[in-house]
This record gives sequence, C-alpha cells and structure tokens, in this order.
Amino acid sequence: MADKIFGILAEFKTPASILDAAGRAYAEGFRQFDCHTPFPVHGLDRAMGLAASKVPWLVLGGGLTGGSCGLLLQWWTSAVSYPLIIGGKPLFSYQAFVPVTFELTILLASFGAVFGMFALNRLPMFYHPIFRAPTFHRATDDRFFLSIEAKDPRFDVARTRQFLEAIGGENITVLEA
Amino acid sequence: MSQESAVSALEPAPLVEGPQDFNTITEKVCSIVEAPTPLAWYVFFAIASGCASMLLFMLGYLVWTGIGVWGLNNPIGWGWDITNFVFWIGIGHAGTLISAILFLFRQKWRTSINRAAEAMTLFAVACALIFPGFHVGRIWVAYWMAPIPNQMGMWPNFRSPLLWDVFAVSTYGTVSLLFWYVGLVPDVATLRDRATSRIRAMVYGALALGWRGSNRHWHNYEKAYMLLAGLSTPLVLSVHTIVSFDFAVSVIPGWHTTIFPPYFVAGAIFSGFAMVLTLLVLCRQFFGLKELITMRHLENMNKIMLATGSMVGYAYAMEFFIAWYSANPYEKFVFINRAFGDYSWAYWTMVTCNVIIPQLFWFRSLRTSIPVMFVISILINVGMWFERFVIIATSLHRDFLPSSWAYYTPTWVEMCTFIGSFGLFFMLFLLFVRFLPMVAIAEVKGVLPTANPHPDHRELHAEAH
Amino acid sequence: MSPVNKSEHGLSRRNYWRSLEQLENSPEFQRWAQAEFPEGLSEVISPVTRRSFLSLMGASMALAGLSGCIRRPEEHILPYSKAPEDIIPGIPNFYATAYPHSGFGVGVVVESHEGRPTKIEGNPQHPFSLGATDVFTQASVLNLYDPDRLTSYVSGGQAITRSAFVDQLRSKVSELKTRQGAGLRFLSGLSTSPTLEALSAQLSQSLPQAVWHTYEPVSLENAVAGGHLAFGQAVIPTYQLDKADVILALDCDFMGTEPGSVLYGRQWSRRRGNDGASTPTNRLYAVEGIFSITGAMADHRLRLPSSHVDGFIRALGAQLSSQGLSLPSELQMALEPHRTHPFDARWVSALSAELLAARGKSVIMVGSAQPASVHALAHALNASLENVGQSVQYSPAPIGVASVANPDTGLTGLVAALRQNQVETLVILGGNPGYDAPADLELATLIKNVPTSIRLGSHQDETALACKLVVPQSHYLEMWSDVRALDGTASIVQPLIEPLYDSMSELELLSHFVDGASNRGYELVRAQWQTALGTLDFEKRWRRMLHEGVIADVAAPPVQVVLNGASIGAGLAQKEMPQLSLQNLELRFVTDARVFDGRFANNGWLQELPDPMTKLTWDNAALISPRTARELAVKRGDMVSLKYRDRTLEMPVWPMPGMADYVVAVSLGYGRTHSGRIGTGTGFNAYLLRDSSAPYFDAGLVSTRTGGTHLLATSQEHGSMENRPLVLEATVDEYQKNPRFAQEAVEHPPLRSVFTEHEYVGQQWGMTINLNVCTGCSTCVVACQAENNIPVVGKERVLRGREMHWIRIDRYFAGDEETAEAVQQPMMCQQCQNAPCEPVCPVAATVHSRDGGLNDMVYNRCIGTRYCSNNCPFKVRRFNFFNYHEDFTEIEKMQQNPDVTVRMRGVMEKCTYCLQRINSARRQMKLSGAARIPDGTITPACAQACPVDAIVFGDVNDPESRVSRLKARDMNYALLAELNVKPRTSYLARLRNPNPELG
Repeated sequence: MADKIFGILAEFKTPASILDAAGRAYAEGFRQFDCHTPFPVHGLDRAMGLAASKVPWLVLGGGLTGGSCGLLLQWWTSAVSYPLIIGGKPLFSYQAFVPVTFELTILLASFGAVFGMFALNRLPMFYHPIFRAPTFHRATDDRFFLSIEAKDPRFDVARTRQFLEAIGGENITVLEA
Repeated sequence: MSQESAVSALEPAPLVEGPQDFNTITEKVCSIVEAPTPLAWYVFFAIASGCASMLLFMLGYLVWTGIGVWGLNNPIGWGWDITNFVFWIGIGHAGTLISAILFLFRQKWRTSINRAAEAMTLFAVACALIFPGFHVGRIWVAYWMAPIPNQMGMWPNFRSPLLWDVFAVSTYGTVSLLFWYVGLVPDVATLRDRATSRIRAMVYGALALGWRGSNRHWHNYEKAYMLLAGLSTPLVLSVHTIVSFDFAVSVIPGWHTTIFPPYFVAGAIFSGFAMVLTLLVLCRQFFGLKELITMRHLENMNKIMLATGSMVGYAYAMEFFIAWYSANPYEKFVFINRAFGDYSWAYWTMVTCNVIIPQLFWFRSLRTSIPVMFVISILINVGMWFERFVIIATSLHRDFLPSSWAYYTPTWVEMCTFIGSFGLFFMLFLLFVRFLPMVAIAEVKGVLPTANPHPDHRELHAEAH
Repeated sequence: MSPVNKSEHGLSRRNYWRSLEQLENSPEFQRWAQAEFPEGLSEVISPVTRRSFLSLMGASMALAGLSGCIRRPEEHILPYSKAPEDIIPGIPNFYATAYPHSGFGVGVVVESHEGRPTKIEGNPQHPFSLGATDVFTQASVLNLYDPDRLTSYVSGGQAITRSAFVDQLRSKVSELKTRQGAGLRFLSGLSTSPTLEALSAQLSQSLPQAVWHTYEPVSLENAVAGGHLAFGQAVIPTYQLDKADVILALDCDFMGTEPGSVLYGRQWSRRRGNDGASTPTNRLYAVEGIFSITGAMADHRLRLPSSHVDGFIRALGAQLSSQGLSLPSELQMALEPHRTHPFDARWVSALSAELLAARGKSVIMVGSAQPASVHALAHALNASLENVGQSVQYSPAPIGVASVANPDTGLTGLVAALRQNQVETLVILGGNPGYDAPADLELATLIKNVPTSIRLGSHQDETALACKLVVPQSHYLEMWSDVRALDGTASIVQPLIEPLYDSMSELELLSHFVDGASNRGYELVRAQWQTALGTLDFEKRWRRMLHEGVIADVAAPPVQVVLNGASIGAGLAQKEMPQLSLQNLELRFVTDARVFDGRFANNGWLQELPDPMTKLTWDNAALISPRTARELAVKRGDMVSLKYRDRTLEMPVWPMPGMADYVVAVSLGYGRTHSGRIGTGTGFNAYLLRDSSAPYFDAGLVSTRTGGTHLLATSQEHGSMENRPLVLEATVDEYQKNPRFAQEAVEHPPLRSVFTEHEYVGQQWGMTINLNVCTGCSTCVVACQAENNIPVVGKERVLRGREMHWIRIDRYFAGDEETAEAVQQPMMCQQCQNAPCEPVCPVAATVHSRDGGLNDMVYNRCIGTRYCSNNCPFKVRRFNFFNYHEDFTEIEKMQQNPDVTVRMRGVMEKCTYCLQRINSARRQMKLSGAARIPDGTITPACAQACPVDAIVFGDVNDPESRVSRLKARDMNYALLAELNVKPRTSYLARLRNPNPELG
C-alpha cells in the first residue's frame, strides 16, 4: 500500500556527515527523526537535542527495592517467622545480613538498568519499516543513516526528500509503513 | 591503581594496528563466525566435549554412590571440590573486571579483549557453580539453601558465609550474563544484517531483538552500559570478598584471617588475567586477530599480572608476619606447617608459580614475548589453583587437636571431575568463538581515530561513555 | 586470643607426642603418611559390575535431565494382633540378667524395645558391676544379632532338624549308658553355673566313666594354683582397692583385661578424687612389660619383662623382710638369696617402705599371666602385710576354676586321652578350642579323629568344622542359666527374647545326658534354686532374684586362709631369670582389649574399637619397644617372622613406647579362619605360636624381618600435643602450690562476646570428664555406639579417616620413649554455647535448643556441606560419606535403638548428650507434673557405662547438682576456652601422686 508512508531514510558515509546532518535537521525544526549508526557517534545526542536518559532512575528504583526487600527478608525469616538461636548470635544479627542485602541491591539495580533500557527503547521489536530500505543493512557495518518520520508535523515527502538531498544524503528511500 | 599508571605509559601505541576502517573491522570479526568451520575446531571440540561428558559421568557416580568416592575424611571436609570452586570463580573475575573497571577507568584498550574475557567469565562461573552444588552430601535437597517456603517452614541461615556465596555467585553470574548480552546486541545485529542463510538470520535476528542502531537507543544504551559497569565494579570486588569469608569467618587457624578479602580479590584478578591471556594468545594466533588484539593489549595484561602477583606475594608474607606477631601458637603452627609440613610441596609450588615466576615480567623483552607469556600464564593458573588448595587443605589437616590430624589425597574421581570441568569450559568457549563475535565490533569501531568527528575527543568521549 | 602455655612458669609440661615416627619425625614417617592411602585404595564399594555401571549411567542421565533422585525405603508396619502384657509400644522395658564372661558373671540390666534387647547396662545391685560395664559386656548384645550365627543343627555338614538331632543324641546316650559312659568326654569353657555343676554331678552318677575337662585360653588357673601353694585350698583372691593406700600391680592390668576390672577400676577411682577429696589419696605402682592402661594410670611404673616379674617380687619380698616384715621362716630363707637383685634398688626400697608403712592398707596384685609361684608369694606378702581381710579377701574357687588348674581335668588331660584314642564321644560345650588351644596340642586334628564329636557353638567356626554334630548355641540373652561372680555372688541368667534360631543352651544339651532331667532351661534352673533355697516362699524369692539380678545372701563367706610357708618356699626353688636379647626375645601373649581371646572376633563394634593404648583397629600387631625396633631395623607395619620353638608366625610390628626391651607382645584372638563376615582374616593368629608348656610368656623367640609390610589402620595417627594445653596435669605438690594451675594454663583476654548473649534459663545440661580417673578403657565408645546406632565402617574407611565413633579417646604420650607416660582424653561434642558449627550452616541444620541449651543436629535438615565439621575446633563431627546402613540384614536391624534416628548418607552427625534420654526424662517429668528433672535422673550412655565414673552429666544451672559442684572445683577447665566457644563439657585436670622418695 503505497499511500501509507512511515518516513524517509537517507544514507551518509562518515560520522562527521551524520553529525552535521542531524544538526541541520534539528535546526530545520524536525523533531521526529532519528539517526542509525554502527556505533554511538559522540555528540549526536546533543545534535539531536535528546533529553537526559531515564535509565538512572530505573536503576535507583531497582537498587532501593533490592536492598530493602533483602534486609526485610532476612529480618523476617530469622527474627519473626522461624527464630532460632544460632552460634549465640542475636536473632536479627544485621552485621551478618550485610552481604546478602548488598548483593540483592546490585542484582535488582542491574535488572533496572538492562530491562529498563530495553523497555525505554521499545525492544525487542522484530519488525520495523526501516529494515525494508535496500542499504540499511550497512547501518550495523559502516554506514550512517538519518530517518525523518512521517508523523513529524513538518514532514512532507517531496520537501523532506529535497532537504535530505541538500544536506548530502545518498540512496534516499521513502519507507512504507 | 596499577591500571592508571598503565594508561599514561600507554598513550602512544595505537589501539588497533594496520590500515583499518569500519568495514574491515566488521569483516575481520564476522568472517571468523561466517567462514566454514575449520577442521581444527572440530578436533578441539571433540576433545573438550569428551572431557565434559566425563564430568557428567563423574558427577553421576558421585550422586549415586556418595561423597565417599572422593578422598575427603574427618578433619578435611573440603578438598579439591572447594579448591576448584574458588579456582574457577577467581578466573571468572577477569571478564567483568576488564569490562567494568577498565571501562570506568577509560581504558580504551580493553575494547578488543573484553568480549572474550566476559564470555570466559560466564563459562568459568558455570564451571565454578558445579562444585559447591555437587559437594553437598544430599544434592536433591540443596534447594533448601534458597529462601523458598518448604514443608519444614524453615528458612536458610543468612549468617552462613556459604549462603552469602549462593547470593553473591548467582548475582555475579546473572549480572555478568546481562552485561555480556547487552554488549552483544549491536554486534549480533551486524551478524543478522550480514546473514546469508535464513536460519542464521532467524537466530541472530532473535538475539538482536530488532536492534537498528537508532541513536535514541544508543542514548539509553550507553547510559545503561555505564551504570551496569558502575554496579559490576563493587559486585566483582564483593564476590571474591565473600568467597574469602567462607574461610575468614571461621575459627580455624589459617582461615581466620582479616587479610583474606583484598588478598583473594588480588588473586582473582591475577588468575583471571592469566586465563584470559592464555585464551587470547591462542585466539589471535588461530583467527588472525593480531591487529585487533595487539601486543600492547597483551603487555598491559602482563603488567597487571605482575602487579597483582606481587600483591599476592605480599599477602603470603603478611600472613606469616601476623602469625608470628599474634603470638598465637595455633596460628604460628599452621603457617610453619604450611611451609615445612606434609604439604610443603604444594606450598612451594604455589610460591614459585605465583610470586617468583611473574617477576620475569619486569623485563620488557619477556613481557612482550608470546611464548614466554603463554607459559607463564599457564604456570600462574597452576599456582593459583595450589594457593586455594594450600589454604583449604593445610589449614584443615592439622588444626587445634593433634589427635584429629590427618592427611588427604584425592581419588581418581576428584581428578577426573576437575579435568572434566576444563572440558566443559573449553567446550563452551569453542562454541562461543564459533557462533558469536569474539571482539566487540561496535566498540572497536568507536575507538578508531576516524570514529570521532570532534577535535577535543577526550572530553566528549568521556561524556558519551 | 593468644594461648600461652605456662610450662615455663614452674609447671612440668612434658613434650607430648603421639607416635614414635612422629617423635623421630623420620622421612619414613613422611613417606608412610603419603603412602597411607595408596592409589588402589579407592572408595568403590565393590568392583563396578555391569549392573552398577548401568545404574551409574542412569544416574548420569538423570543428572543430564537435572532430576534429583531420592531413594526412600518402603515401610511395612504390622500391629500386634493381641497386645502382649506390660509392653507399651515406644516405652522400653528393662530386665536384670547376668553376662557370663569367661565363666564369671557381670550383672546387667538390659533395655528391651518391643521384645528386642538393644542395649546392655550395668546392674547397680551387682557387686562386680555397680551399674557399670566393660567393653565386652557392652558389645555382647551385638553377638545376639550376629548375622553369621549358626541357624540350624548340622550333622556331617548337612543341616538337620532339632528333633532329628535329639533322636541321634538319645540313641547315643543310651548306648553310652551301657558302658557307664566310658569313652565319653566333655570339654567346656569355664563355667561357674551352680545348675551346671549340679547337672554334671548327676552326670557322674548316670555315666560314672565320663570325664569333664575345662579349658579357657585365658583364665585364673595360675591364681588358683598359687592359692593352692600358699594356703592349700582352691581360692580366688578378690580385692577392695578403695581400702588400699598403696597398690602394687605386678604385670596386672586390673583396669583392663583382668577379671573384675569394672569393680577394681571403680574402687581405685574412689581414691583418686571421686570420693570428693581434692587430691588422690592412693598411690599406684605398676610393674609390667607391655604398656597397659593400668600402667598408664600408675604413679610409678617400672618396665620389666614378664619373665622378670618373678625375680622382682622375690627381691621385693627379700627387701620387705630385711626392712622388718615377719615372714614364715621357710619363706624368709627362700628369699634370702634375693636380697641382691638387678632391679632399681631405690625403687624397690621406696616401694617396700611404703608397703610396710601401709600395713593392712596395701595390696599386691598379680596378673593371670604370672606363674603360680609368683601368685603364691604375693598371697604370702599380702597376708604378712595384714592385708588379708582388709583389702584382700579370698572366696572359694568354683569347681570349674579348680578343674582348669588341674592338669587331669584341664585340656592337657583331654589331649592325652585323645592321643591314646580313649575318647569315643567328645562333647564340646561352648568355647572354641579348635582355634584357641595351644598349637602344640594340635587339638583340631585330634578332634577330627574322634568317632562321635558333638559341638555346641554359636558359629560354624574352626571347632565346629572339626566336629561331626554341631548344635547351635543360644546367646545368653536367649537362655535360662545362672552364674557366679568372682566373689561367688550368684545371679540368674534370664532370657530377654525367644531364641532367634532353634538353638540350645549348655544346660539344655547337657540335660539329655542326665536321667529324668527336664530339657527346658527354665525348669532346670528353677529346680536347682528350689533345692538350694528350699521351698519356703520360694516363689517370692525367685521373682525377687529375677527382678534384682542378684541372689541375696547366698554368696559363700570369705574363706579363712592359713599361710603354708613351706610350700611357698618350695615353690621358690632357685631359678635364673632369662637373659633377654635380640637372639632371645620374650614372647608375651596378651589378652586383646577388643576381641578378648577371639570370641569377639565377629563383633564389628569391637573390631573397629581403637585399642586403648595403640589406637589400632581391625588388626593386632607384634608390639615391641622402640629400641628393640631400632635394633631389629623394623618400622611400623613391617612384617616380621616370629620363630618360637619350631613354629613361626608372620605379623606386622608396632613399636610401642614404654614397653620393656626385647619383649614381643602379641594379642590373642585375631587371625580367625572361620569367624564370619567381620572377623575372618583380620589380624594374625597368635595361638599358632602358643605352647601349652608356657601359655602366657616365654623367652626364646627370634624375630626376622621378611621385607613385606602390612597396612595397619589406626584411628589416631598424626600429631602430638605440641606443647598445647589440651590434657592438663600436675603432681599433687604442684597442685597444692598452685591449685588454679588448670585455669591459668592458658592466658587470654577476658572472654566477652560482641553480642549480648542469650539467657539460658531453666535446666541447662552440661558435663564434666575427670581425667584424673579416666583410664581410656573405651567402654564409653562402645556404649555410645550401641545406644546411638553408630555404624561400623570397616578397615579401609578407618584408613581414610572416616570412623564414625561419636566419642574419640585421645591418647598422648609424655616423656621419652623409654619411660613414656600416657594420658587419655575422651573427646566428643563439647556442646559449645557459642557453637562455631552453627552460624556457618547455610540451612540452619545445627542450631541451639532453648531448653537444655544444647547444640542440636537436625539430620532431616542437613544437606551435607561439611562446613560445620570444618569449623569445629574439636573435630568431633562425623559425616556419613556413604549409606552405612544400606546392607544391614533384618537380624542386624533388630539391634537398632528405635529412639535414635538412623542417619542416611550425606548428613553430618555427632554426640547429642543422648538427647533421647533427656527427652524421655522430660516426658516423665511433664507426666508426673514435677517442676524439674531431679539431678541424676538422666545419664548418657557413656556416663552410664563408665567403670570409673569419670563422666558426670547434669544441670549446670542448678548449683547443687553434681556436675555443677564438679565444675566449681579448681582443677576444672574448658578446652580451648580462649576461643570463647563456651563448651558445656569441661575437664578435670589430672593429678599424679608420685612418691616423694622417687620424685
């Protein structure tokens, strides 16, 4: 169905050019656009005007949950649910409970980081229109792509294509949704 | 910290040698996975998996017959089993250390070796877990160590270092796996995009989770990766600290020692780097990765081994000093007994391999000689195995009451089990090098000079990572 | 914490060491330590058969599938169809009976669970038990359930029915009657049963020509013969050691293998502080060639070959008379030449001075091994020292004992008859002469030639194989009989259980030879006592004696003896002491501390019991002094060939400190060829060297090294006390100088916990072990094993260091290897209040109990990490490396104590202070509504069995309890107190009481 369009994709050769292109696109007023690079190109975030990542908050949340649940678990099991005299130590011998608390903090914080990151990135997502682009497979090799999505208010197939040509994009492809 | 000093000394030499652009790197790494399997691989894999099945048989025999098939006895309740556990866990420290700590220290040279090192970590941890798992007398109720409700309404004893171990090692394993996988995603995507056969496309596609190099993704990805590194660093230190608690928390002379945590961590890094080196020297030889894994990488690792080896040596000396200084006759005896008792042969093997031999790395010529470092790295692993054996066996075989003193020799079952664990380790590693990119493609591209359009890249690089 | 032992500061801390190799710390020892577990000695139970191989594969596959396997046995529970009287399921009953041990009775109380006797305990009413037992009595219950017992009657190798046998016997007896029993001979072990005596008396009427022979491999014949010499009558000496200030034991292990050891040990211990006195009030001198536990407890010990003891007592006698002891003139003259002697003059004079000073309060004891003349002289000296009637008494020797002493009715008489083919029918009652007769008699072959030989025995053993007809013998817990103790006290032997197999007792078999006698043991015994006591309210008395296990007021009064100096003097005819040398070693036969004379060879408990002195298990060895070993150029385990007269025996040597030089001591009872699955093939048969002319010791032995070696399994090999303050000891003077030496032995900072410790309110259990009296006899070890279902693991696993005994008796040597002293220290779970084993267990399988405050081991919770054992400073925890109860036969299972869990493989176990006994006492308390368990109600198996009352258990929160009062003593100390583990078990330091003259 040719009528439904996802956006337009342009290919660039070097990190410098994609960085430049991203800056121009932002200046042009585009917001719903994205860059696809084989490795993180430094400065691109700023050029695209991305806000700070939310991942750290998820990590913090995970860590706090892990720590508090860990300590709570140990207190409840050893001092409340089944109190036992062990080695003449108090029922709630917190000194001995530090390691497990620590480990659980780390564990859940890491979960926050990894699964949080994937969630924020909407991954896994096995189908995406951009994969249809003939040369896009090089986005994980040595090419750098700029895609402007149709849902951007300033998007217009013809003009956006011209704009991309103007900033030096090659193999410009219109992506069908 | 030794790594720091390493850096400054290292600036000049390039991280990647030869004329490289993004595509050549992709080619170099991916071709290993995509090229037809070399015959040698099959040979090695056959040997490794053979040993691994021997491991399975030995464990079956153990569970069927009883712990008695091992050589343990009354005073010596732990022998090769826990020795192997600590040995493998120690090796398992290099990966995360290289990935996380060197990452935080901005050691860009880590990029070409961290993937393999992380993989090695996972496999080492897998091998390590076998031993505490199977050393228990009734493995079918080993799940009682987990805090899950059971018919007795009882809970595990959170005061036990062994339980701390359970949490530490399982956490470590999980986090290392995530860390490794997160790093793999972009590279697996590369393999997906290069896939020629449908099956590869499917498998790698599934593993890549639909990664499309979006910068909005890289944005979160890099943040997550850095935080993960930040979390793994204390984790990796805590794991061997807690392993050392198994001994340090006890009352047995030779175990009850406050120096153990740093001593064990240093030892872990020491043995871990030795094992990484052993493997990488082989890999770069077999898979022609000399430009990616350069002499500079190897030399840095040798320096770290020299440093950690000397720390371990210091710990050995300090133990004797404290034994003397404490004026505790039991403590004194244990250490004299280590050096001159029935197990002195083990003790001196340890000292030779761990303290004396690494000193050769003071000489640049030896430090940069492939055969020399290969042999030394193996000797270090031997020495580190003996370190754990010495700590465990010699402390137990002669403790407080002479009436209970005894000697311990392993049976063929223990030996075969240990050999088998190496089989498992190498089997997994061979599978890894066959099917996954063993160098972090995206990261290596990121450290190419051309990769960074900005003039003052240090500051921006800092911000980005 | 820095324990500094205070040896520098005044106390005589000796350098302790355990084994000579250790002392020398020779390279051989190092190599031995390495070679201790050769590669071949793997723990595979049986060579991997195809079947087990498959099951293994199965297991591997199961693992591959990650499915855990739990193998639980199927249980079948059968209710009583009709509940028997006075048996409440779950509540054990106790019955009094008596254990006839080589003829003499030890009163016992037997615990019976639903009709299964499971545990032997001493009978407090019985004069030779006083509530305690020795190892043999403790272990005797296991013989009842020996799976190798003879289960049917055998005729010419074919199993026959009881009735078939009885018919054969009847026809045989009637045939014998026709010729007055000519050619009929009986051979029995020593028996003191009045009923048997009565039966044999009747026998001599119905079959007047029949002759009765008695043989015991080890018995009192010399003592009795000595009595004959001294007094002209058959008497047995019994002692009252608690009345003696000075005790001289001449080659006499009266705390160990000599008869009456339980009583004598107790009496001696009363004067070592057990009577409440703070210091020992008696002094023990020991003169011996081997190193016995008695010698180890002695205040002064003189190493002397057994063959020199004769000379020694003559020298002592001469010394005594020279110091003014009035002896019969002939005796005095006979002793004259011995005023000059080769022995340590200081020693002899100091000893005789003490003996004279303690007239009427001293004892000279002589071991069974010594010849009659020595016994006679000892009798004479005791009499002259006015000890008779005080610390020494004489009771009439039972006919059996007398006949052992008499050659015609002894074994030699029988052999003579056999050689002349005068024996047509031979009836062997009990014993095992085919194995334990002196080799020169070749009895086994002689028996084979007897036309009709009837054997009553419990096993198809060496003797049975030589006989035509074999009759399964009842165990004493299966039969009716009666027995006398050393002093003549009689007890009824009443059965606890119907015979497991269709077996007969001695009485029942014998009854078939006597006209009109009933064939039922019960009727025989009852009839005997009815005639003895008269019918006047007999029923009441009968029930009473069954209930009490002792027959009151029928013991014969002490015999009044009159010295016959002439005959003693005659007995002292001039004779040279043998000059011992490498070419002329003394061969000494020792009663084994574990298998006795071989009758316990098939008893797993005793085979695995470490010898009290050598700590050797599953074997015997030729004990020699370290110096002799060096001169012979042999090390532990080297095989030597012992040549004595025209016989040779190959066995391994064991250098033993403290032994006399040029003495080779071999213990009897090993090397059985037909003993059963346990005993066959363990050790080496010393009887093959034994000669009827010199049954106990003789010079003329030559030892040559064969070059071979033998792996000897000892339970405690490595290490020495390393100057560690473990067994604390002092002399009486040192103690009086510093009564707190025990507490001050270790210097450590105040013991405070970083935590606020738990309050242990109510009754809290604790224990003291008095090292001052503990002889290391090991009765507690066997008692514990019987009470707590502790498995026997076998020689190979002992070699691996996997023995399961909950009590370990640590034996350390002191001084140099020649004049070695030894100390014994029972070591079991110390029930630490701050137990190091508890916090390290990941699954809380070992925790502290609130009431009682004990360190509980929860078998069902244990997953077997062995961490607790690693962290135990005392190393008293035991791990089930295999499923040791797997191949138990149904019969063996019957012995198991139902109150104690049988542990499966993979779990840890340890001493529980006999928790099952504590709990049953607690139940009774709750039922009775009492507030607390009174002191002394609970006695752990070890304390219950201890002959010297060294172990005391009770409530440590009650200041009045016995244990608290002992813990309040200044010689009380806790082992490794500096670790602040707060052990509930503490030790009372040992005090030696040396003679200042010899100090």
